[in-house]
Amino acid sequence: MTPRLAARSAIVAVLAAVWAISAYLLWQSKVPSSLHLPHLDPHAYFTNAELHAVASFARIEDLLFWATTVAQVAALVIYARFGARWARESAAGPLGTGMLLGMLGFALVWAVELPFGVVDLWWQRRHHISNVGYVAYLFGDWFGLGGEFVFLCFALAIVMGLARRFRQHWWIGAAPAFVGLALLFAFIGPYLTPTHRLQDPSLRAIARQLEVKEHTGHVPIDVEDVRDVTSLPNAEAMGIGPSRRVVLWDTLVDGRFTQPELRVVIAHELGHLARNHIWKAVGWYALFAFPGAFLIALATRRRGGMGQPAAVPVSLLVLVLLGLLALPLENAISRHREAEADWLALRTTHDPAAATALFRRFVPTTLDEPDPSTADYLLLENHPTIMQRIAMAKAYATSAAQSP
Amino acid sequence: MDEHPVRLVVEDDLRRNRLTVFFRLILAIPHLIWAFLWTIAVFFASIANWFVTLIAGRPATSLHGFMCSYIRYLLHLYAYLWLVANPYPGFVGEVGEYPIDIKLPPPAPQPRLKTLFRILLALPALALAGALGGSGGFGFTRSRSTRSYSYNSSGLGFVIAVLGWFASLVRGSMPKGLRDAGAYGLGYYAQAAAYTLLVTDRYPNADPTAILTDVASPPVHPVHLVGDAHDLRRSRVTVFFRLLLALPHIFWIVLWTIAAIVVSILNWFVTLFTGTPGAAFHRFLSRYVRYGLHLNAFIFLTANPFPGFTGTEGTYPLDLVLPPRARQNRWKTGFRVLLAVPAFAVNSALGGSLVLAAFFTWFVALIRGSAPWGLRNLSAYALRYGAQLNAYLYLLTDAYPHASPLEGAEPEQVHEAADIAA
Repeated sequence: MTPRLAARSAIVAVLAAVWAISAYLLWQSKVPSSLHLPHLDPHAYFTNAELHAVASFARIEDLLFWATTVAQVAALVIYARFGARWARESAAGPLGTGMLLGMLGFALVWAVELPFGVVDLWWQRRHHISNVGYVAYLFGDWFGLGGEFVFLCFALAIVMGLARRFRQHWWIGAAPAFVGLALLFAFIGPYLTPTHRLQDPSLRAIARQLEVKEHTGHVPIDVEDVRDVTSLPNAEAMGIGPSRRVVLWDTLVDGRFTQPELRVVIAHELGHLARNHIWKAVGWYALFAFPGAFLIALATRRRGGMGQPAAVPVSLLVLVLLGLLALPLENAISRHREAEADWLALRTTHDPAAATALFRRFVPTTLDEPDPSTADYLLLENHPTIMQRIAMAKAYATSAAQSP
Repeated sequence: MDEHPVRLVVEDDLRRNRLTVFFRLILAIPHLIWAFLWTIAVFFASIANWFVTLIAGRPATSLHGFMCSYIRYLLHLYAYLWLVANPYPGFVGEVGEYPIDIKLPPPAPQPRLKTLFRILLALPALALAGALGGSGGFGFTRSRSTRSYSYNSSGLGFVIAVLGWFASLVRGSMPKGLRDAGAYGLGYYAQAAAYTLLVTDRYPNADPTAILTDVASPPVHPVHLVGDAHDLRRSRVTVFFRLLLALPHIFWIVLWTIAAIVVSILNWFVTLFTGTPGAAFHRFLSRYVRYGLHLNAFIFLTANPFPGFTGTEGTYPLDLVLPPRARQNRWKTGFRVLLAVPAFAVNSALGGSLVLAAFFTWFVALIRGSAPWGLRNLSAYALRYGAQLNAYLYLLTDAYPHASPLEGAEPEQVHEAADIAA
């Protein structure tokens, strides 16, 4: 082994160790490692009609996911092969040409995905999940694409600017830049989301009690109006530092859920904030950003590196493929965080019955499969399955009954 | 390309009688009533003419003559109203007796399919004629109480009439730029009307140089366009996504505009006190103005490639020549913003035509992969005027924007053109 190779191996080993230790620290959870989740039969909790309805809904959704993914990858493979030809449509120099190629790649993917999106919308409208009209969807999607273009250009400006300055080592500077951007968006996200304060005084009082129990300090509870778009119930914890808040969709507080169930939801979201899950999400992003950027740098070397516009179509393909490959891992990390928030909600509310009722109600309202197939579980589920969540509530009830 | 069968003839000498200018609108009242009555008759006659042309394959001679007289009469009347010509017009559309006149083709066979769908086919041309005329261009205002958007902008003809009224009263003559712009609008109107009323089956051509063939070019303006005007190829993909692709540029120009405004204020003080703009300011603002032209040429489909972000000279097929830093008249500098107000009005009116031209070019370019020559040149005219206005406003030159749709020519070329016209 040459000294140079030895030094490189040592650096790689140190970096791998740092990565592993960081991942270990980020993985830490309040869910007791000894907690055993009982295996539950969905038929004991849901009627055959409910199970049939969600299975039928999921079948087409799964099909659309796979069709969209295949079409997206195929489009990007073709674009990676021939996309550089569009450089002749630019008079913008290398950086601007790279931006143009990046935007055209996204435009191509958008065009390829559009028919699947329309079918998905039709399917969701048929099941009363979506309230979006077809014209609104097409125009909304079009404008959404504009937002993606702007962000993509910004990202490419960073990457290509660094690549033209530091050649193949651009990723060392770019990864921290993107982590910084992720932090920025985590911070400003709540300010960009149109919401209003929760009006219900009893729910606000409940939230205040939960804040004290979970030691989160004061967290505003906001409501986001989504009824015109979807009937799905949802809530999310957003922001870092002074921008922290819990956002409840108005579909959650429209009378379909009882107050104890909403208490569980708020406790769950406060649990995210109590355990700094948004910071941890950025941390995980950082752990993936460095190797991801490095792999893109590696894959684009044959096209002259990311400083050259011709490398942009290839980089888009690599980015999407890496995203697909990382999807099971990302989902596992997300499920781990959600399980911890569930556990904190159970510990704070001491109400496993309400939690069970909440999770049971999710099936008819969201058409989520309570016990999906392994492939769906790995690729599509970023929350524990409904049956896992009910099992955790049951396990909590058992452990609470056994404790003195 | 063949000469368009509808040809504008301009024999106006730019002189205006102050008295008739002052009372122009009132003097035109009998004509407006007459034109209204004539339009009603033409409405019914055009329906009859449509059936005749559809069945016989060519318009009836008598109806054709009637339509030609009507088009010519309206041309004379609008020329009078917009101050593009001086004398009081006749009431029957006399041939060759008015300084702004039109040559119309004799009746000829016309394809029946074109005749069948004539009114639909004519809609884009009529919309553009409206924007170039007096009825309005594109623009939106939001009413706070109703939260609705409305159509609210003045067409080029209206702006020319208002500005020309003041200028003619003061000077006793119409500025050539305004006269040429008005003549161009009238020429396009005449082509659109001739097409709609089945006088010809040739589609209107918005190319200013083709309409103003016998009008002398103005002198070269220090701010003018260069580049390959004949590169009409357009990439269908970038045309389809054009507005979205321009978004990063739009963000960039917003940031740049903030800086440009600050710099131009500083430059105003420097130019006012020293008589010459600051060298660094002049360079910075030159790049900004040139970048604005590149970006607009991309957005409005006047050029094909994605532009750069720096406004560097010689990097874009439609480029802008800007003058070097030079001494400027302090009076003009001191009142620059106020002096620019009429040019703003012309630019706003041209903006409506520019938007329409881009809208139609978008469809044509998607289908054919190339931009129509006429619309491209109309867009280039509007962009050139906008760039001249910006250069004037940002103190790059004290030469006032020239509203003539014709590109400037060197003095000897102007003389040659005048000789040919004579």
